[in-house]
Amino acid sequence: MFKNIFVILATSLALAACTKKAPENDNTINYGLRTNLKALDPEQGSETSANEIIPNIFETLFEYHYLKRPVVLQPLLAEAMPTVSKDGRTYTIKIKKGIRFQDSEVFPDGKGREVKAQDFIYSWKRIADPRNKGEGWWIFDGKIEGINDWNAKLAKGGKPEEVNEAFNAPISGLQAPDDYTIVIKLAKPFYQLNNVLAMPFASVVPKEAVDKYGEEFMNHPVGTGPYKFESWIRGNKVTLVRNPNWHGGTYPNEGAPGDQEAGLLADAGKPLPFADKLVFHEIPEAQPRWLNLMKGALDFGGIPKDNFDNTITDGKLKPEMVSKGMKLWTFPSLEVVYIGFNMADPLLGKNLELRRALSLAYDGQTARKKFYNDRATIAMSPLSPDIDGYDAKFVNPWKEFNVEKAKEHLKKAGYPEGKGLPAIEYNISGSSTDRQMGEYVQQQFQKIGVQVNIISSSWPQFIERLNQKKAQMFGIAWVADYPDQGNMLQTLYSKSAAPGPNNSNYNSKEFDALFEQSEKIPPGPARIALFHKMRDQFVKDVPWIPTVHRLNDIIYQGWINNLKRHDIIRNSYKYIRVDQAKKAELKAKL
Amino acid sequence: MWRYVARRMLYMIPILFGITLVTFLLFNVAGGDPAAQAAGRYATPERLAQIREQMGLDKPLLEQYLHMVKQLATFDFGRSWSSRQEISGLIWAGIGPSLSVTFPAFVLSLLITIPFSLLLAAKRNTAIDKGTMVTCLGLISISSVVYVLAGQYFLAYKLGWFPVSGWDPSWDGRWQYATLPILIMVSLSLGADILFFRTVFVEEMFQDYVRTARSKGLSNAKILLKHVLKNGMVPIITAVVLQIPFLITGSLLIESFFGIPGLGGLIYQAIQEADFPVIKAMVLIGAISYMVFQLISDVLYALVDPKIRLS
Amino acid sequence: MVSIANKGRSLWADAVLRLRRDPLAMVCFTIIALYLLMSLLCATGVIFTDYNVTDNAQAYQPPSAEHWMGTDLFGRDVMARAAHGTITSLIVGFFGAALAVAIGTILGALAGYFGGKIDDLIVWLYTTVDTIPYILLVVAFSFVMGPGLNTLCLAIGLTSWIRFCRVIRSEFMKHREREYVQGATALGAGHLRRIFIHILPNTFHLVLINFSLGFVTAIKSEVILSYLGMGVAPGTPSWGMMISDAKLELFREVWWGLAAATLFMFFLVLAFTLFNDALRDALDPKLKNR
Repeated sequence: MFKNIFVILATSLALAACTKKAPENDNTINYGLRTNLKALDPEQGSETSANEIIPNIFETLFEYHYLKRPVVLQPLLAEAMPTVSKDGRTYTIKIKKGIRFQDSEVFPDGKGREVKAQDFIYSWKRIADPRNKGEGWWIFDGKIEGINDWNAKLAKGGKPEEVNEAFNAPISGLQAPDDYTIVIKLAKPFYQLNNVLAMPFASVVPKEAVDKYGEEFMNHPVGTGPYKFESWIRGNKVTLVRNPNWHGGTYPNEGAPGDQEAGLLADAGKPLPFADKLVFHEIPEAQPRWLNLMKGALDFGGIPKDNFDNTITDGKLKPEMVSKGMKLWTFPSLEVVYIGFNMADPLLGKNLELRRALSLAYDGQTARKKFYNDRATIAMSPLSPDIDGYDAKFVNPWKEFNVEKAKEHLKKAGYPEGKGLPAIEYNISGSSTDRQMGEYVQQQFQKIGVQVNIISSSWPQFIERLNQKKAQMFGIAWVADYPDQGNMLQTLYSKSAAPGPNNSNYNSKEFDALFEQSEKIPPGPARIALFHKMRDQFVKDVPWIPTVHRLNDIIYQGWINNLKRHDIIRNSYKYIRVDQAKKAELKAKL
Repeated sequence: MWRYVARRMLYMIPILFGITLVTFLLFNVAGGDPAAQAAGRYATPERLAQIREQMGLDKPLLEQYLHMVKQLATFDFGRSWSSRQEISGLIWAGIGPSLSVTFPAFVLSLLITIPFSLLLAAKRNTAIDKGTMVTCLGLISISSVVYVLAGQYFLAYKLGWFPVSGWDPSWDGRWQYATLPILIMVSLSLGADILFFRTVFVEEMFQDYVRTARSKGLSNAKILLKHVLKNGMVPIITAVVLQIPFLITGSLLIESFFGIPGLGGLIYQAIQEADFPVIKAMVLIGAISYMVFQLISDVLYALVDPKIRLS
Repeated sequence: MVSIANKGRSLWADAVLRLRRDPLAMVCFTIIALYLLMSLLCATGVIFTDYNVTDNAQAYQPPSAEHWMGTDLFGRDVMARAAHGTITSLIVGFFGAALAVAIGTILGALAGYFGGKIDDLIVWLYTTVDTIPYILLVVAFSFVMGPGLNTLCLAIGLTSWIRFCRVIRSEFMKHREREYVQGATALGAGHLRRIFIHILPNTFHLVLINFSLGFVTAIKSEVILSYLGMGVAPGTPSWGMMISDAKLELFREVWWGLAAATLFMFFLVLAFTLFNDALRDALDPKLKNR
């Protein structure tokens, strides 16, 4: 999904009510959310802060193994991974028996009801229901048999009882032959179904709660997860407490190479979750988050760009931080940050040489240093690192920073020294840092004589401009929804042009044919070969200037054990253990 | 008196109409396509049409206007575009935190500035007076953003006297976080208030009754405290009452910097996210509370000065 | 009529004389003139020509002999940026205040002169606008018009005319009944002539005072709007942008950007405020010595 460049950037921390009295229970994890929380309903959950909390309350059929890399799926609420029919179109999933929703007033006796197969179908219908304004529809759109017809009927509207009837109508591709079996029939082969079903969108929610609370369900979340919602003081913090009726789970016994040495297997086999309480503090400002982390009021979080030099040298934590017991965890984001050209724009879209010139004029190394403290990989293509198919050695010839060459191409484009070229509008959204990055782009292009006007707007207005294909050039990032290069490359598929993810409205027959072919075959070397062909087509047409793939640096306190963050593994809190004795000892030093 | 109050209240009706009209024109007529901004990502044309219908944007303007008036009358502003939370709920939740910063700041600032400006008025045209006046002018020549930045940086970050930001809704925790915002807020109003109050007191000192009192042989201190302060409080109170509505809506700058979950922070967030319904609701509420306190201020003034009632 | 005109001239001559005798006022006047001169020289490319010269190797250099106020993120000279920021501030201040004064004066004149229904309408208009919180109104205007320098001037102008309107209105109410206006009526002067040729010059000192007040308000609003992301286009030097950048920079111990913008703004605003006071005293001698 698209992200405002800096909202996503690793940094995350929090403050906490560090009261003078000894806290009653210190077996708590404190985290600082980077944006103000909006809602706690998985149906709406495409927002970074909500996705930090929701997977602790709600659960999906599958989850990613906490330690193994590259990431691998395993059953969570499902009994086992699905059995797939020979044609790859029918998935049969058994769910675990005896899973109960969290105790809540929405159930007749206040006790959580057992989760049945029908609950999943109900929850997924909610995602597909056009009356809800959620952003999750795309995960099923066109993929499940009969779901688009069902969706269209609801979209037509009508009297409430008619619409309700339309909602209750069965979908041929989503069936529950018995209470513990789900059968999914696909409209076309879709090899990423398991990944999609592991996304927070696909969490199971109780119908009773949605019926009772209506739209207010987002303030009264009830799920099956290891933690129960306790309270949300708006604009301040969300508190979750251990769910005593959780179906259980144990810490993994095996991990990736190096995990043993890093102590990540010390708790192998122990029952989860470790912490009694999770507190998520809403601290949208980077500095307060950082200071609270430094004071130990938060347990882990990212490093603000402007504090980087005081924190890390040569990729290592500074000694003064190490002496306080702090540790560093670095992981790559599954993403690409880029400057998009609007291919539907009469000027930029038609002039390949101009796009080449601009791409050559952009100094990516300096930007990497200035804005990312070198904690990023220079991006050569839309393919994300840390996902199968990424090639670290690949070089995009137009990513060379060469002002002279850029000027030559500008001449070929028909604008020698930029003469006759009208100023190009560069659209950005967000913070001071985003604005500074905009200024940087402006300066880069000025060097070859291309004038840039920066249009800075709020995120919704920015999106509106993209959706209406009005943005000539724009700065944005695409973060993988699940570990698959196909998810990255759909940002260039012509059928997903704006308002879809292809905001540059790139339209190439060759690329489309390759993309469609890649959707039809299972993951494997053949598919990767197609990805590489798509990448080559991308390089030929220069619809973007890919800039970086960021690295996330997370600082965590000495009393935090088992921390291994990853963009896709969203339910990591149940694995984290707070060493309370060490916390008391180390906190005195902070 | 009651007739005056009644007349004054009657006058609120056209103003109320004006407020709703301006707000409506700004947001519903001139402010672009609300549906496009509410729809967010992946908004297909069909989806937009649907949202337009849900939002009632396909209805005639008059009907939309009446809908807005109804929202105001029932204090039900619908839901935020960005969080989909009930706006009235967001507003109720924000009043408390806003007031816990603004109210102490307001009281503290009056306790400092009133006696101080009375003293200056007594010592007018001395070096102390002139020096203070220049200082006050200097204070108001610095941008309020700088106060917040510098306060947070030096007092909280460098010296560590206060938490850098945050909020704790429990009463003892609250002061820990509110103290620095309160101090910054006081320092923000200091310069302008002292200058204004001093002018008021100086004005009073040229009144005839002061001369009379002096000729009766009353001591300077007595004149100041008994007469000048008492009479000067009339314009001061009427002016000060007009600040109360701003206490409720909180400070946008301070709340956003210090992460205070009040109404100022709510506005700030709404601005960042182009969340029109929230901004609209806050414009209406701000305007109406200002109007109400204007009424109170006028009535207070009329109580003290009966001549006003006749005009 | 002649005597009135003379009186008018003597008021101005008198005021200039008083101002000249006020050393503080003269110092302030000089400061304002220097700012004007500096922004002119900047705009014409005579001084601080390096304000847009980037040198990424020289980013965030502390103040030195070469860069008196250090350098910014892109290695640009902060002093030069701040000096060029004066242009933005003066433009916003001038056009914002001019628009506000124009609207306020015209509406105030009409209301005060005609009275009756027109007065009711205009009073209703400004009471309404006055009731809406200032910052929200500016923000709403910026939203509707999109960000940029023009919007900044317009938004500030359209929202800050109320104060002037009130003052001018009451002044016109006073003058309307005066002999010289009655005399002009007898001589057959039309309404417009009476408003603009006869009365307005006699309220001109108020217009001037209000203009200078509006100037200060506009400059300060620019900073707040920049902080809210509604300032001038990125890349344009402005004090508001420099101050809102400091939010990040301070924690890198980069204080010079904030210091430069604050100092530049401080002296201009202070000079304007003090000069405005002196001006008021000079034009309205009753208030003097209080």
